[in-house]
Amino acid sequence: MTCPFLSYRKSADGATFDEARAYCEAEERFVQPMRADICNDRFDLDHAEDCEIYREHTDGGDHGSDGDHGEDDP
Amino acid sequence: MSYERFLADEPVVVTAALTGGIHGKEANPNLPETPEEIGKAAGEVEAAGASVVHVHARTDNGERAFSTERFQAIDEAIRRYTDDVIVQHTTGATQAPTENRHLSLRTDPPPEMASLDMGPLNRYERLTSENTLATIDALYDEMADRGIKPELEVFNDGHLNEVHGLLDRRDLAEPVYATLIFGPGTLTRPRPGNFLNAVDNLPEGALFNTLGFGRHQLPFATMGILFGGNVRVGLEDNVYYRQGELAESNAQLVERVVRVAGELGREVADTSQARDILGL
Repeated sequence: MTCPFLSYRKSADGATFDEARAYCEAEERFVQPMRADICNDRFDLDHAEDCEIYREHTDGGDHGSDGDHGEDDP
Repeated sequence: MSYERFLADEPVVVTAALTGGIHGKEANPNLPETPEEIGKAAGEVEAAGASVVHVHARTDNGERAFSTERFQAIDEAIRRYTDDVIVQHTTGATQAPTENRHLSLRTDPPPEMASLDMGPLNRYERLTSENTLATIDALYDEMADRGIKPELEVFNDGHLNEVHGLLDRRDLAEPVYATLIFGPGTLTRPRPGNFLNAVDNLPEGALFNTLGFGRHQLPFATMGILFGGNVRVGLEDNVYYRQGELAESNAQLVERVVRVAGELGREVADTSQARDILGL
């Protein structure tokens, strides 16, 4: 399961991209590509354990939402 | 030792790290990610004076890619846009399976050079690029089999021990080529005394490349030039041209360091000279 705060967007905050990029709804910003691997739980990573942003915004608990995946979510 | 190379007028090899594997266009929209963009950037930095391009692969939306096929596509684009540049692939792949790290070595033809991380590196709060001795040896062995020159990446002073250890375990071709890296976190603290200490602790005869992250890119490149080393610049390591001003391109960063080398009286190596210096 990917992070509920993850969406894919082509534009936000004045930035526009040709391809939809990983966007953190909790931080309201595009995320670094390496961090996107955590958001997507790739390589045995677990966003709930390995992402300090997720833990900060959930206080280590359940986010309680299926997340806003944004208008450009594929 | 190294200052003698400065006095001897040995040309400086400029490497451009075009893309990297951490940040992307969200940090600087001028950072190349697709094979076509990376190929064009390689052509621009070669024209600006770089003789080596350090290459990472990305998917079309900028996320990390490791497949041989993606590196192959990038190399083909680089060859379309460059005359004779030396291609250096990364073997870094934080948190990804170790097998992924070998894939960049298997293009046809193989890259002339590839990076070889000398030890662990922390990222974010819970990620680590492990770089065990077994991983280092396995990557080195495949490089040796395929005729690829390793660029030994020294993230901190402990990794200098690992360089000596690798030379004890394996018979590296001369000259040994190590990149001394300065910056935040696990990296060597970016202070001039640490730079001189790192240079002094390299194996006898080793060449070094100088890499400073972020705002440290220019001062450490300048020290590298002045103390007989080589330099690496580019958007992988630094997305700014100066404080608060994003770099326009990789070539802009190369052009600046080439100007610095000229002012300090060091010729910048062309690709033929770079091959001679690096023993390719």
